[in-house]
Order: sequence, then C-alpha cells, then structure tokens
Amino acid sequence: MENFQHQVVVVGSGAGGAMAAYELTKAGIKVLLLEAGRDYDPKTETPMFQTNAEAPLMGSGNSDKDFGFYDATVDGGWQVPGEPYTNAQDSDVEFMWWRSRMLGGRTNHWGRYSLRFSEHDFKGKTRDGLGADWPFDYADIAPWYDKTESLVGVCGTNTGLDDMPDSSPGVLQTPPTPRVPELLVAAAAKKLGIPLAPMHRAVLTQAKDDRAKCFYATSCGRGCSIGAAFQTTTSLLPMAKATGNLQIITDAMVSAIDVDDVGQVTALRYINKQAGSEQRVIAPVLILAASACESARILLNSKSAKHPKGLANSSGQVGRNLMDSTGTDLGALIPLLRNRPRYNEDGHTANHLFIPWWGHEAQAKGELDFPRGYHFEIGGGFNQPGAWVGGYFQGYGQDLMEEAKSHYGAYVGLSLRGEMLPNDDCYMEIDEHVKDKWGIPVAKFHWKWSEHELKQVAHGLKTAKQILTTMGAEVGELPPPEKAILKGGQIIHEVGTTRMGSSPLDSVTNQWGQTWDCPNLFVMDGGVFASNPHKNCTLTIMTLAMRNASWLAQQLHQGGL
Amino acid sequence: MEKPQEQNTLYRYQNSMSRRDSLKWLSILAASAALPGVTACSPNPDVGVAAQAGHWPTIDATFLDVKGYGKDPNLIIPPRAAWPRIFSEAQLSLVAVLSDILLPRQGELPAASELKVPEVIDEWVSAPYQNQQRDRPTILATLTWLDDEANLRFGQTFVASNAQQRMSIIDDIAFDRADLPAQFQRITPAFSRFRQLVMAAYCCTPQGSKALGYMGNVPIAGDYPGPSDEAKQHLDKILGQLGLTEFAYQV
Repeated sequence: MENFQHQVVVVGSGAGGAMAAYELTKAGIKVLLLEAGRDYDPKTETPMFQTNAEAPLMGSGNSDKDFGFYDATVDGGWQVPGEPYTNAQDSDVEFMWWRSRMLGGRTNHWGRYSLRFSEHDFKGKTRDGLGADWPFDYADIAPWYDKTESLVGVCGTNTGLDDMPDSSPGVLQTPPTPRVPELLVAAAAKKLGIPLAPMHRAVLTQAKDDRAKCFYATSCGRGCSIGAAFQTTTSLLPMAKATGNLQIITDAMVSAIDVDDVGQVTALRYINKQAGSEQRVIAPVLILAASACESARILLNSKSAKHPKGLANSSGQVGRNLMDSTGTDLGALIPLLRNRPRYNEDGHTANHLFIPWWGHEAQAKGELDFPRGYHFEIGGGFNQPGAWVGGYFQGYGQDLMEEAKSHYGAYVGLSLRGEMLPNDDCYMEIDEHVKDKWGIPVAKFHWKWSEHELKQVAHGLKTAKQILTTMGAEVGELPPPEKAILKGGQIIHEVGTTRMGSSPLDSVTNQWGQTWDCPNLFVMDGGVFASNPHKNCTLTIMTLAMRNASWLAQQLHQGGL
Repeated sequence: MEKPQEQNTLYRYQNSMSRRDSLKWLSILAASAALPGVTACSPNPDVGVAAQAGHWPTIDATFLDVKGYGKDPNLIIPPRAAWPRIFSEAQLSLVAVLSDILLPRQGELPAASELKVPEVIDEWVSAPYQNQQRDRPTILATLTWLDDEANLRFGQTFVASNAQQRMSIIDDIAFDRADLPAQFQRITPAFSRFRQLVMAAYCCTPQGSKALGYMGNVPIAGDYPGPSDEAKQHLDKILGQLGLTEFAYQV
C-alpha cells in the first residue's frame, strides 16, 4: 500500500463505484476505493440451500433483517444502528431509506432486474413538459448498454416492444422458460391486449469468466456464492483488483470533502470505523458513488467559502429531485390453480415473464390521465415454505394439510413498479439537529406524492384487478390509491439528488457525471438520474458509470483534468 | 383401569434444546428486570360485552429486554439460541398436545411434536421483534385460556384432561362460524393464530415441505426444465375453462 499512488478516489463499492473502479483500473489508472461497510465475501458467506426451517423464526423478516434472515444485507436495512435519518414534519408520507454497510453494497441482494431505458424514457420532458430530459440521446448510450450487459451477463430476449429497446445480437443470454402462474397471467393479459415478455435479469444462464451459470435454486436476495447472479463482489471488484491498480479500504465512512482556494477537490476525510479515528486521503480526482442520498449528504456536509451551500451545489439542486419508483401490490387466490400438479418452480427465483409498459400509444393519444408508465412483476408459485402458509384453516387434523396443499401455489400477485415525476415536495437536506454516531450530520427527508403517481397507481390497480378477474379470481373492492401506494423509498430505487443536465443552472453534473462547479469531482451513482423511468435503476447506474469512467480515463490519459 | 395411560403419567414434551442453552437463558432471565408473567382467569375490561360473556386471562405484555440476533448474524450456521425462551415446561407440553391435535401423525407423516413444532412456537413468542411481540400475548392467552377452561369444566389442566374432554373444548373454539357463542368469540381467532403458526412451523420442516409438494431447492445442471408435462396439460385445461386458449403464450 505504501507504494500505491492513487490517481482517483472512489467512494462506494456498489453498482456505480465498482463499475467506475473496474473501468478505470482496466485503463491503467490507479484507484483507491473507500467502502463504509465491512469486507464481504459471497463465496464463503452466502447461505446456499439453507432452508427457512434452519433459520430463526422460520426465516421471516424483522428489524434486524428486514427482508428475512437470509437476505444478504449486512449491518443495514431500513435502519443502520447509530446512523439515523429523519423525516420532516411537513411530509405527507414517510420516506424509507435502505442502506447496507458491506463491500459490494446493495448489489449483493438486489432483484437483478435489468431493463434498458429507451429514447422515450430519456426525453420525457420533450414529450409531456414534465420533469427533466437527460443530456444525451438513447443512441449515445446504446453501445454502453451492450458493453455493460455483456460484462454483467443479462438473460432475456429482444422483444421488439416499444418499451424494451433491443440489445445487439449476441449480447443477451437465453432466458429461462416461463412457469405456470406466469403463463396464466400471460394468457389473461393478452386477452386484454397486454403483452408479456421475458424479464431481463443479471443472472447467468451460461457460465462467464469465473462465474458459474445459475443452478436454479436459492433465492438471489441471499447473494450468490457461485457468481451466477451479478453482484460486484464476485465480478467487477475481483476483476479490478486483478489489474493491480485497485486498493480497497473497508469500514471507511466518508464525512466530508476538502477543497482548495479555487474550490477544487484536494482530499476527503473519513472515519476509520474500527479505530474510531478520522483519516484524510488526498484525492486528485474524486468519484462519489455512495448511493444517491449518501453522496448528496456528503456534498451538503462539505461547505466551504467557495461552496457555501455545499460542494457542487451552486444550482441548489443537490438533494432536490429525489425520486423513487411507485409501488403497489394486488393479489388473489386463483381457484382453478388449487391443487395444481407439482414441479420444481424455483427457476432463477424471480420473474421469468413480466408485463412491460404497454400504454405508449394510449398515452400519446391522450387516453390516459397520467403521464408516465409502469410495469407489473408477477408473484406466486411453489415457493419454499416459510413463516406463512396460505389457506382458509378451520378445525384440525387431516383437513388442515389438505387445505394447505390445495392453496399452495394457487395465489398470484401483481406488483406495480412505476415512474414517478420529480416534484418540489420530495427532497433531502441535512438535519441540523441530528448527527450519527460518527459525528456526521444526517439526512432529513421530505416526501409527498403528486396526482400523477396516484392516478397511475389507480390505473394499475384497476388493470391488475381485470387481469386477476380474467384468471377466474374474486377480487374485492380496490383500495384508494393514496392508501395502496407504498411509501417513498420503499421500492429502493431512490435517485435524482445530484441530477445531470445540460445547464449548470438546473443540474449538478454534466452528462459525464462531472460536477459543473468542480471539474475533478464526479458522481456515478443513481443521484445523476434526470428522471426515474419505471425500469429498475441498477443497469443504467452501471452503464452510465462505465461510459463516464471511460470518458474520465480518456481525460486523465490526455492530461485533461 | 378406567383411565388411559396418559392420565397416570402427565404428558411431558421432551425439549431438544441443550442444557447449556437453558442455563445461558436462565442467567439472562435472572438478570432481567421484567420477567413476563401470566396471571390467570380475570375478566378483561378491554373487551366488548359479548366477549365478557366468557373469561379471558390478563397477560403481562411487558417484554423481556433481550437482544435479537443482530444485523450481521452468521447465515451459514444460523444461531439456534439467540434469545431466551419463555415457555415453562408445562406450556411447552400444552403446545405439544395442541400441535398434535392440529397435526397428528398421518401415515408416514410425523405428528407436529415429532418435528419440534413446539420449540419453533417457543422461539417465536420469545423473540424480541415487533411481529412476534404482537403474537406473544395472543398465544400466551390462548394457552392460559385453555387451562382455565379445562379447570372450569373438568377441574384439571388441559393436558391432564382426557382426550374426549380436550376435544370437547377444541370443538368449541376451532371453527369460525356465524353462530359462535359469545364466550368463544375471543378465543377462536386467537386459537386460529396459534394454528397458523403451527401450520407454518410444520410446513417449513423437510417433511412438511415435502407433504406440501415443494420440489425446489435442488441444483439443476442444465437448463431450467420448466413445467412438467402434467403441469402443462393442467394449464391447458384451465385456459380452456377460462376461455383463454386462443391467448396462450407462445414459448
């Protein structure tokens, strides 16, 4: 380490940070990466095949492990001990912030859904006047999607649907074949004019590099010891390390960034969590990829004479434009699926088919009362039994198991994930009154849904009911959308707090993730999103990080910074 | 002898938790200020007129001040004894008897107590988390209510009562029906929650999962094979019943 002269410091080892480190180290640039959590090795720490019966409380979730005992998340979840966040009094709705404190960040447990944004997604404002456009066209980023998908390993197909841009030939791996509940939803939806398509997932169906192909068992949320389900700890980070150009410091909680007299980044300070002491490292170039809200928090906590509102915040947009995906769920027992024939329905443990957004045309014709789209993910199937067994249980004895068997795998759920528009009531700032256990002022959230999200959710609920009813289900009265919509942050797609744009007046970075105010400071996480299309954000975080780190490498090689 | 064997030797559930665990918990319990207690058989002022027709035990809702397994437990070898268990030996035996009434041995399928279901229920009601704390008074009240009811009817505990006596009580509370007598309107949903937990604990086990028909959690060497021929034929049949045949997805 003593002889290691880093040229770039990266904060965060998740989707954005690991991809940036990978791209830079491959280009021969020496990178120091700081991670706030502990070291983590999926090869030795992932519970593969362990059953719910072997776990405490039948594997069910609680405040220690929100998504269940076996979820990969380390030292995190909706709360991180000693590292609170607050919600403003004026918020309608609570904002929930999922964090992890581990090498690889949230890529260790994410859903691996990997859908490309389209030209339609990048230019929403041009179309309907709402939110903000991205400062590039789909054509600019399409080749980088190809490169990212090839590196990460994504299974899926080119569908030709207007919501799903094609990948170049040979990029996608073959998706797994669909299962009974998905096939039933597909038929019912098609009758209503709604097509289904193979989900795109960052799961290998063919081996790649040192990573094995999926063996179709063990939920991906636990992480993947064989590397089939993509996470940076089995791919980008070891590959970057192998170049000899990467050094990683874990348990390094960044507190603030130092600048010189002209406002350029010189160094950053972090808490060595093991020692409890503050350290300082020089940063010739700095990339923040600590997650949208954590990166914004670092910037807002780095005030100086040159940056009185926080670093890179001359536009006042740092922390603003906070968006999550909209979410709601509707499910029902499908009587005709009762007692259906058994088979191994694990598959790659998530959607083989899903319902992409089908309403482009109707929206263009003005037939819908909301501006942006959504998709449905499909729940149900013969899942591994856990702390809840479905059924209408009465009495005792043989009838109970008969009812459980009959009900097993007969329930189908549809989960809406939709695009939210940025609004003035959804943002984060620094809470001047609360510090975390490291002495760092914490994030404070403001949240309020607009009518766009509520109307979209109402449409989604009606559609879901139609689909379930077409499958023979009895669906009761629908809840009002303001009751049905999940909380801000709950879908864990929070983005937008350091958005990119074409003007320093209303955005924080340019299209390369380079902050307008500070040329040697970059943001390469979801914070740079100018909008939040309904498709899950991770693939685009990685694609932008690859593209922008590649641009940065060029600048460094040319002595441009 | 008139009475069956079990009446002479009171049934005792054999706890498989180690003596080391028990001793460890005992020390934690001793150090805890608020030991959860159960006081029997007092009318509960919180419930409506209908429910007051019967009896309802007052349960001390104070929870043990104990820690959970934390945010970074060993996932490969899950902790077996992260917190002290609260069931007494008598409660554990009562849970075993009830579990076996719900899920008795059926052919090759073991009874609930043989699959350690009572220990899972004990772990559940003893846990320091919100969901479990919500269930804890429900389950403890159910157990106390059953002993109180057996005492009122037969002058002895539920476990000490004979099979016919036990079932006369269970038959009164195990069915949620429109004409449920007032004195059973509170115990019936509570017993239902208990039954739900027993079902889950049972279906989690390898034997229970197999009985349910779960066939996953096995590695597949090649491509994922998808639905069996039988499953495909069944799907075709129901697509026909729903008038959806022409809309079938083309794989």
